[in-house]
Amino acid sequence: MQGNFSLINFITTCVGFCFFFKKCGVKVWYGLIPGYREYKLSEIGNRKSEGKSYLFYSILSTIAIVAFEISSAMDEQNGLTDPGILTQWFALIYVIIIVPLLVYSIRIYIGVCERFGKSKWWIVLWIFMDWIVMLFWSLRKDFQPSAAEVIEDIPDSGITSTGSGTELTVNITDRTVKTLMSSRTLLKDIHLKVKPGHMVLLLGGSGAGKTTFLNAITGYEKANAEIELGTENIYKNYEQLKHSIGFVPQQDLMRGSDTVYCTLSDAAALRIPKSVPVAERKQRIDEVLDIFGLGMLKSSLVDKLSGGQRKRLSIAMEYISDPKLFILDEPDSGLDGVVAKSLFKKLREIADQGRIVIVITHTPDRVADMFDDVIVLAKDHDRTGRLTYFGSVDEVFSFFGKDSFEKILTAINQKEEGGEGRADELVKKYNSMMQSKTVGGETA
Amino acid sequence: MNENMKYIGRTKQTGIYIGKLFRMFVFQSDWKVIPMAAVIAAIVCSVIGATMNKTMEGTLRGAFALSCICIWNGMFNSIQSVCRERAIIKREHRSGMHISSYVAAHMVYQAFICIGQSIVILVVMNISKVKLAETSFITGSSTIDMAITFFLITYAADMMALLVSSVVKNPTTAMTLVPFLLIFQLIFSGSFFSFGEKSMANKASNFTISKWGIVSMCSVGYYNDLPMTSLWTAFEKMKDLKIEHSTLEKLDADREIVLILSQLEGYKMGDILDELKKNGTDEIIKKKCGENAQKAEYESNSMVIEDSWSNLILFTLLFAGLSVVSLKFIDKDKR
Repeated sequence: MQGNFSLINFITTCVGFCFFFKKCGVKVWYGLIPGYREYKLSEIGNRKSEGKSYLFYSILSTIAIVAFEISSAMDEQNGLTDPGILTQWFALIYVIIIVPLLVYSIRIYIGVCERFGKSKWWIVLWIFMDWIVMLFWSLRKDFQPSAAEVIEDIPDSGITSTGSGTELTVNITDRTVKTLMSSRTLLKDIHLKVKPGHMVLLLGGSGAGKTTFLNAITGYEKANAEIELGTENIYKNYEQLKHSIGFVPQQDLMRGSDTVYCTLSDAAALRIPKSVPVAERKQRIDEVLDIFGLGMLKSSLVDKLSGGQRKRLSIAMEYISDPKLFILDEPDSGLDGVVAKSLFKKLREIADQGRIVIVITHTPDRVADMFDDVIVLAKDHDRTGRLTYFGSVDEVFSFFGKDSFEKILTAINQKEEGGEGRADELVKKYNSMMQSKTVGGETA
Repeated sequence: MNENMKYIGRTKQTGIYIGKLFRMFVFQSDWKVIPMAAVIAAIVCSVIGATMNKTMEGTLRGAFALSCICIWNGMFNSIQSVCRERAIIKREHRSGMHISSYVAAHMVYQAFICIGQSIVILVVMNISKVKLAETSFITGSSTIDMAITFFLITYAADMMALLVSSVVKNPTTAMTLVPFLLIFQLIFSGSFFSFGEKSMANKASNFTISKWGIVSMCSVGYYNDLPMTSLWTAFEKMKDLKIEHSTLEKLDADREIVLILSQLEGYKMGDILDELKKNGTDEIIKKKCGENAQKAEYESNSMVIEDSWSNLILFTLLFAGLSVVSLKFIDKDKR
């Protein structure tokens, strides 16, 4: 009796899923595979990560059930009337797994309800009678998933940058993250060349791939790319070149129990080659303390510093090795306008010494005059980071037809983020501009 | 670029991080773990002091309680030490820090803390007049044997916590895992819950720090040579019971035993026990009970102690090694 009920339940659920998948444009036969069909359902509801977790737990629960059955059979064979300890454990594991399965299925159903614009109360029915809900939603014409905007694909720019001297040459074909079940391109088709002594603004909305781009060019997270600093390939010589690249993270990641001098001294020990004599190293530490105005604070604990002082120390830690490429991720976050301005002046001075300085900032307009070039990244319709503009500050406003960086950001941001959603259009515009320049004899 | 450009190696980096950790000890609240160990030890010693290393039960209880203190101390020394500064480690790893140097520095620093805590526990035991064995197998002093045992338990637990701290991403998760680890250590220590010889639980107990700690402490404390008081205590609880003919008749015992006991008819159990105490027979009974309750695993010899210590050292190295492996993946951390 129970076996018949399970079979009927399985068949009806399969039918429900198959009909539902047909409506949503997913391959119908996926509805026949328990676990994986919930994963596909999560894709419909834009809850892919929950779907992955659900799939993981459903595999685990299957293993637990199989183990339970085998163990029960062995108990019977051994003449045990009560279940053995192993059988009990497997049963317990299965019961425990039901909880996350339920939680993740609820999350998936919420996603599906949101996609269809239906009340979340449907979830109660989904849990107990998913096949009925599936069939009902499949057959009702007024139950339709909100369609994703279809935009034609953007062709690649076909540009390759060539470098010489101590320039930074970036040729990123793509940066793709592959997992067991999916692959996502985070960055695509970015080609540019930054001259030494230039201070570059890296602009882009959230999720546009700014940090991914920085990690790719520093070799920290390798992309399908050729990155050269001068004549050296960063990816091939990463272990040596990483000391020529200073990366200042957004947060002030330092230990509060160290003094300013200790922090710098330890940073110097890690970053400066051991062939440099101790006296010279000490001299460098004193020099950097002076450059960043930390000389008077060298005996102070990091915990006692103000936000601006900490930020300067964080930058000094990377500057101590005299890097050729200096990258700063939002160095002005949490700083007031005056302190931020003075910090950018300091960065300008560093660039003027012949170094490449790349800065991410969310308030670029107040320091626009400090930069030489601008890199604008934007999410295309696939949510892939694309180069929307690279060039001088003077030309960027005319390219976008805007008079401030804030307005440029509004133009490239997606509509659901409150932007104008013009990223794809602008990427195409930039690509064709670069292609025409290349044809006209200029290189990127 | 100079191809031969070299940067400081692992040993010097370890030195730098040891310095950082000791600065934390001084300037942050890390030093508080030493007085905390004293407070916990004082509470436990006030309870176990009377019977530890005097009776079998007292020794086992004491060994279990002291083992708990050491595991507790060790775990709380390190449980947050890595995960609380994970972002800093990621930054430093990017700048050329070797993970092995970082973990080695923690090992040196935590060894210092664990030694401190072990000494503190011993001092508290001494103040609380907890008896220690008079002779020793390994070092010539049972106090030093005990101190080494305390240190190894604390240090192994410390490294276990370091591993957890290296695996998890934040202190909240680390603290959530602590009770589970502690319960596993306590339940599977093998001292209070007896497991079948071939059971899974018995095998699991071999992978606990607590088991080897207790084995070592019992061995150092001559557990098998001590008297067992459980039976005598049970008799004492029946001191008001009067031996009567009707009671003896109900006994499902050998005829001869009933006859012997019938000679005690009319006496109270308390009177009989007092009589036995007068000529020292109680001690003989306790001793005999002890002889019959001896456990081979707690045998007092250098081999048992060395085995326990080796296992604890093995755990320590394993946990430290796994911490290094786990931290090697720190670059994969999401923002």
